[in-house]
Amino acid sequence: MSTSPLRAAMVPVTRQIRAYFAPINRVTGTPSIFDPGKYGAFLLDAPPAPWLDLGWIDNFQRLCTTLTEPLRAGLQGAPSVQFRGSIDARIEFDFREWGKLQMALACGSEHMNVLASDPNANAQPSGGTPLAAIAVLPGSTSSEIVLGVGAVSAFSVGDVVAVDADYQQQTGYVGTGIAAAYVSDPADVNRDANYVRRVTFNLGRVAQETTTSLLLAQPLLGGAPPAGASVQKVVAFVDRDGGSFFQEWSALFVWQEESGGRVCFHYPRLSPTTAIELSMPLSPTAQPRAVKAFQREEGVEIAKPISSLALHAAFQAMLHVDENDGQTVVCYRSYFPAAKAAVY
Amino acid sequence: MQFTKDSFYMALLERLVSLNPLQTVTLDGTTRPAIIVAENELVISAKPVSDAFYIEWGAAQMVQRQAGDRGLMQMECVISYHTFGTVQSGVDRGRALAALDMELLSICEPPRTSKRDYTQSPSADLGTSILWTTPILSKVTGSEAARNEGLPRGNEGVRLERSASLKVFFFPEVSFL
Repeated sequence: MSTSPLRAAMVPVTRQIRAYFAPINRVTGTPSIFDPGKYGAFLLDAPPAPWLDLGWIDNFQRLCTTLTEPLRAGLQGAPSVQFRGSIDARIEFDFREWGKLQMALACGSEHMNVLASDPNANAQPSGGTPLAAIAVLPGSTSSEIVLGVGAVSAFSVGDVVAVDADYQQQTGYVGTGIAAAYVSDPADVNRDANYVRRVTFNLGRVAQETTTSLLLAQPLLGGAPPAGASVQKVVAFVDRDGGSFFQEWSALFVWQEESGGRVCFHYPRLSPTTAIELSMPLSPTAQPRAVKAFQREEGVEIAKPISSLALHAAFQAMLHVDENDGQTVVCYRSYFPAAKAAVY
Repeated sequence: MQFTKDSFYMALLERLVSLNPLQTVTLDGTTRPAIIVAENELVISAKPVSDAFYIEWGAAQMVQRQAGDRGLMQMECVISYHTFGTVQSGVDRGRALAALDMELLSICEPPRTSKRDYTQSPSADLGTSILWTTPILSKVTGSEAARNEGLPRGNEGVRLERSASLKVFFFPEVSFL
């Protein structure tokens, strides 16, 4: 340990780290960008759009296995230049809060809304035939769902509802505002008109009812209901090990500054992963040498036998081309020096 | 170090005034927010007033692995308070103490504030922040009543008291530029 004088304002002191995610336009591949020049000092409780607050996280680790390799020259074989090999970066952490987004990101595949079922329907692990959907009327917004007189009584204050369009036998990404799944063939989803609402991120909890509307506690993530949308009650969330779909989101992590500057990590594109190779192959054709088993949930002991459950999540950082210089990168680390801190 | 003490006190005072402007005490004929730094008061034999937070400072030392000539330091702090309740019979003294507990926890959030020099006016930002741990609330003690042997905790007294301990972290005063 050094006993040299520290310049205090240059020492970032932090206590906890907070996660924010924002959707990627999966059709165009366009990520959500965190511009530190525009948003750097934002209040952590009020992130700028389109960033969504997923709460404090624990055990945050940034794992970089990008190799740098020297090119040697001369009789002594001394390094003369070096280059970067395959770019590889991952992150791991625990979501301490559970919710639709946290589960979807930790699981990584399609994330299902369990729609309230017809009592006579066959049992299905992700929810059977649901109760009929109720049409959303024009004039609805992301916070107010207009259903009309009478129809409102199908729901109660406190219900979670899914609000999205009927599945129209289309192929491609589905879900209003945020790609929730990818349908290759309508037969795969049984041509189910409710399928989009089974996976959509357009959810809300009913905070109040008027004679004609449901007023939501939080706005719908995907925005106002699209034309032809319907609403159904959601009783649970289900994710699955397996599936072919990969979530892909932009992410921002902020170490809350206690003293000193703020440190942020922005990943334009993150895709969930599970098993982590403990030692990376040196070449693309080599076999991975060791794999660390992936634990889906972590118990955080409170007092035996009581514990809280954390959702363990890991992500592969995907490439992004920085338009300022055309460089291929996977993560941006930004630092906002404290007031009065020396520059170097 | 004095700047740390002053900054901590001022942060809690301002938050208490914002949270509950009616939480005041009268000392030496002056009405003021009910948060008091014991070492700043006159040395008199009067008992502490009820329904007020008394700040007392304790040991200070360098933080391990953060040490250095100008490394991070920590200082112990105890905040004590007591109540007789709000009615003559004292039957709401438990609730009154719980309200003080919640007030204290509230004014300790967020657990940081900028370190300022309050020896000048207006105060000057010293460039770093001080931060602290979440207060640990001690057990409740009761006094000024006959001990009821049938109640093992002994906190049924007319006067209910609690103290909260926390650690305050800070960079010592130096010219760091």
